[in-house]
Amino acid sequence: MMMSARHPQFELLDIVHWYGGKKALEIGHLVLHGGEIYGFVGPNGSGKTTLLYIMNLLLRPTEGQIFFEGKPIYEDANCRSSAQRKMTMVLQNPYLFDTTVEKNLEYSLKLRGLPREKRLGLVRDALDEVGLVGFEKRRARQLSGGEAQLVALARALALDPRVLFLDEPTANVDAKRIRQLENIITKINRERGTTVVLTTHNLDEAYRIAHRVFSLFEGNLVSPTMHNLFKGAIRTSREGTCFDTGKIRIQIPSEYKDSESEHATVDPDEIILSREPFVSSARNSFAGAIVQISSEGDRVYLDVESGEVFRVEITGQSFREMGLNVRSRIYLTFKATSVHIL
Amino acid sequence: MSYFTEGLFTAGRLLFTVDPEVYGIVGLSLRISLTATFLASLVGVPLGFLIGSRDFRGKAIVVIVVHTLMALPTVVVGLLGYAILSRQAPLGFLELLFTPRAIIMGEFILSLPIITALTISAIHGLDRRAVLTAQTLGAGKFRVAWTSLMEARYSVLAAVIVGFGRAASEVGSAMMLGGNIRFYTRTMTTAIALETSKGEFGFALALGLFLLLVVFSVNILLHLFQMRGRVR
Repeated sequence: MMMSARHPQFELLDIVHWYGGKKALEIGHLVLHGGEIYGFVGPNGSGKTTLLYIMNLLLRPTEGQIFFEGKPIYEDANCRSSAQRKMTMVLQNPYLFDTTVEKNLEYSLKLRGLPREKRLGLVRDALDEVGLVGFEKRRARQLSGGEAQLVALARALALDPRVLFLDEPTANVDAKRIRQLENIITKINRERGTTVVLTTHNLDEAYRIAHRVFSLFEGNLVSPTMHNLFKGAIRTSREGTCFDTGKIRIQIPSEYKDSESEHATVDPDEIILSREPFVSSARNSFAGAIVQISSEGDRVYLDVESGEVFRVEITGQSFREMGLNVRSRIYLTFKATSVHIL
Repeated sequence: MSYFTEGLFTAGRLLFTVDPEVYGIVGLSLRISLTATFLASLVGVPLGFLIGSRDFRGKAIVVIVVHTLMALPTVVVGLLGYAILSRQAPLGFLELLFTPRAIIMGEFILSLPIITALTISAIHGLDRRAVLTAQTLGAGKFRVAWTSLMEARYSVLAAVIVGFGRAASEVGSAMMLGGNIRFYTRTMTTAIALETSKGEFGFALALGLFLLLVVFSVNILLHLFQMRGRVR
């Protein structure tokens, strides 16, 4: 993994972006280092694409400053255009120009004034990288969705960018191609040292490829979990302050008693799982049953129905030791301070 | 009906005997309408692109005005052109009245709003991602504009063809600004009008057929171009 020499590759400071009267994005401070893969996860409308457009300099934020390799890009037009030349983006639903695959890939190379021989060499290399050698003369508009996605990726790779932005790269791709795309992305990063910044609404995918995962929710960076996200209201009673989802009441720290927030989240790895009721000072304890089990590497994810569905993360070893199965009855325990009010 | 058969015979005779006057008229008409269309495209396509690709205050009004000008009566253009170009008028010193150039001017004014309006529609109909993609690949403003035009090329070309149709088929301004002078400013449409009023239906019909043939050929060319781009 390559690390930046002195400056982080990207530094975003006090970024706010408004669409009409709606605040779409608000990021206090975000640092991205060169040579890493970053995943931004969030539901539709969470600001992922806006953030990508802002970093790719396609959109100027309403407020805030961006530093690229230590230089403030909005204060110097030269710095901005030099930064722009070092990055490119593949749109969520990529657009291919109405011509051949080869001409699509040549487009940006022509802009850079490269001679034809060199251009064709780079086009071949890029197509090779995505496994589409021989597609040069095909009409771009006659490709399948998956092929078009790969051609768009190859077109970006032909540029050999320092930073590659991928907006939902696997959203329109069938299951068979998803792994292929993910492998290509990790290979580019490993072999070329390209920083990859991608968005996805699939947390598992983000963890699979990214070195670092950020979650976005309603334009804000939140703790990287979207699974235990509950909608409800904060209530205060004799038993303390709680977050009422309508189905269950989750105890939260009393400091939130005046908050009007409607969303709360719990980190999956802060939930303690036990076969018997777990005696501790933790104020939240729910009985439930496992409804789904999935795994990724040595991590096992359990979806537990206990009024609301909780996602719990445990190690493969604990999973085996506890002898868990779908429909196993278990207890979930977590502290009030493990609940984050958004 | 007999007029029609007589007309068809005359048309056939004129076509196959290579009547120099007929071919002269056809040649002049083509030269005038192609030049007018070329000039109107030179102005109308970039203008349509600018209006179509930008958001500005009063854009809706501008688009409505351009649309209205599409229906500009040819005789009004002829009248206004006459008022500007006649000897005592402001541009009288140019001595353009009753010359092919004056007809080109008239046809230019008639096809300009059509080419502009249809280019605006072509740009409005263009996928927004085309511009974004060009930008992500490092294209500057001019290159983005060029790429957008290239992506909308079939619609823009159709705009030019419709503009050409307007220029080739109008008669009012060609008559008023050109004067229908034999061997000098007589075009297909003015000749048809004249010959019909003289009762020479055969000659008029032959020219009418020529006019249709020209427009038909241009449309075949457009169709071939579109086929080449889309099916392969």
